[in-house]
Amino acid sequence: MSLFIAVRVDPERCRAGQPCTACIGVCPVAIFEGRDGLAGVIGENEDECILCDLCLARCPTDAIAIHKLYADEIRTGACVQGSPR
Amino acid sequence: MRLLEYEAKQILRDRGFEIPRGIVVRRAGELDQALPSVSFPAMVKAQVPIGGRGKAGAVIRVEDARAARDAAERLLCGHVRGYPVEALLLEEAVSIRGEFFLAVTYDTVEKQAILLASGAGGVDVESPGQASPDRMVRRVLDVRRGLHEFEARQVAAKVGLAGRDLLGFAGVVRQAADAFLGLDCTLLEINPLARTDEGRFVVADAHLEVDEDALYRQPHLETGYRIPRREASGRAPTEFERRAAEVDAIDHRGVAGRVIEFDGNLGLLIGGGGASLTAFDAIRRHGGRPANYCEIGGNPSVRKVAELTKLILSRPGVERIAVIMNVVSNTRVDLIARGVIQGSLEAGRDPGRTIAAFRVPGSWEEEGFTLLRKYGVEFCDRGVSIDEASRRAVARQA
Repeated sequence: MSLFIAVRVDPERCRAGQPCTACIGVCPVAIFEGRDGLAGVIGENEDECILCDLCLARCPTDAIAIHKLYADEIRTGACVQGSPR
Repeated sequence: MRLLEYEAKQILRDRGFEIPRGIVVRRAGELDQALPSVSFPAMVKAQVPIGGRGKAGAVIRVEDARAARDAAERLLCGHVRGYPVEALLLEEAVSIRGEFFLAVTYDTVEKQAILLASGAGGVDVESPGQASPDRMVRRVLDVRRGLHEFEARQVAAKVGLAGRDLLGFAGVVRQAADAFLGLDCTLLEINPLARTDEGRFVVADAHLEVDEDALYRQPHLETGYRIPRREASGRAPTEFERRAAEVDAIDHRGVAGRVIEFDGNLGLLIGGGGASLTAFDAIRRHGGRPANYCEIGGNPSVRKVAELTKLILSRPGVERIAVIMNVVSNTRVDLIARGVIQGSLEAGRDPGRTIAAFRVPGSWEEEGFTLLRKYGVEFCDRGVSIDEASRRAVARQA
């Protein structure tokens, strides 16, 4: 279980199987992987998240949320509005 | 990684260099078996990873087996400039008619490989005033295409050779360039390269240093030649240092390693453009006893920092760890903070008590400070010097 960062993918919104690999391809620290037609989070890599927000910017359905556990702050696609998708 | 003379000569022999016949002895008890195979006169040479062995009395010419035994027994139980003599090379003496100097290395200012050659080799060739710079031939070595035969001959001609000597010397120059590139060396030095009475060019002494970051490309050094990985000091890494190297190898990101073990009780995570030495010295100046030296930087992964922290805290007697770096632009403060806190927690320690000082100013420092506050870790910014942070770390140890 991660200590500092929790990355969550909303399965209702995720279109990974349709096909979309935006988050998997863009994450520089390999937090995402394809799993049962959806984007899954590799738990052991969550604390490596560098808060680059690229996944938030690229996800076409705002399915990703990044929770900074040490600051009680949640970052979503709304935080990076205006970024190219 | 510096190789010992006999190791370098083994490798060079296999690459076609002419090497004097010799035998390695590690204990006085091996002399009875070794001496009958030695041709006299011979040289008894202590195998220690330093230059200037001749002047230090670690290279002795002997005329017969009795003198060889006396010299060997004397050297084997001693030290040469602090290095224990763990092996000797007993080697036939070369009848030298001329001494040459030949080296290939990197010019770190010009950032290119260079080949150096001189017709005046010997013990003082590198001393100022002994070797006239205008007698040293210098040629850039293209690391992509190596050295052509005609270029090697040009070097030999500039050294002042002609005829058969030119061809013989040029052959060694080309072999040296090939060996330097093929073995991923940072230095290949043959001094002296002896020209014998018969006109042969023989490697009388050799100094090889292999790029430690390229050792993975040279597995035959360990598997074929049985040359263990060793620190720049020449000694074998301790178990602690070996495990730290494994941590650094977890992935390619940044550095969290280059650890040297010491016998103190304050763990150190230090780095940043030479600041690791500054911090280490400051800790000592304030009366602290470092448990280790290390280098971190270049944005290592959180996992690497955490594993290194755990490893340092696993040493008996190490209760606290000081995290001190220069102002960093290429290393994220928050990622270092995550790693140290994670490592402390995984070691079963309270980060607030275990981290004696956290002085890592630079990129994402506010994020890092937020994190450190959350875990009750004392930290300071660039307004506090490395020296003062070191003093505080030592004071918390007391």
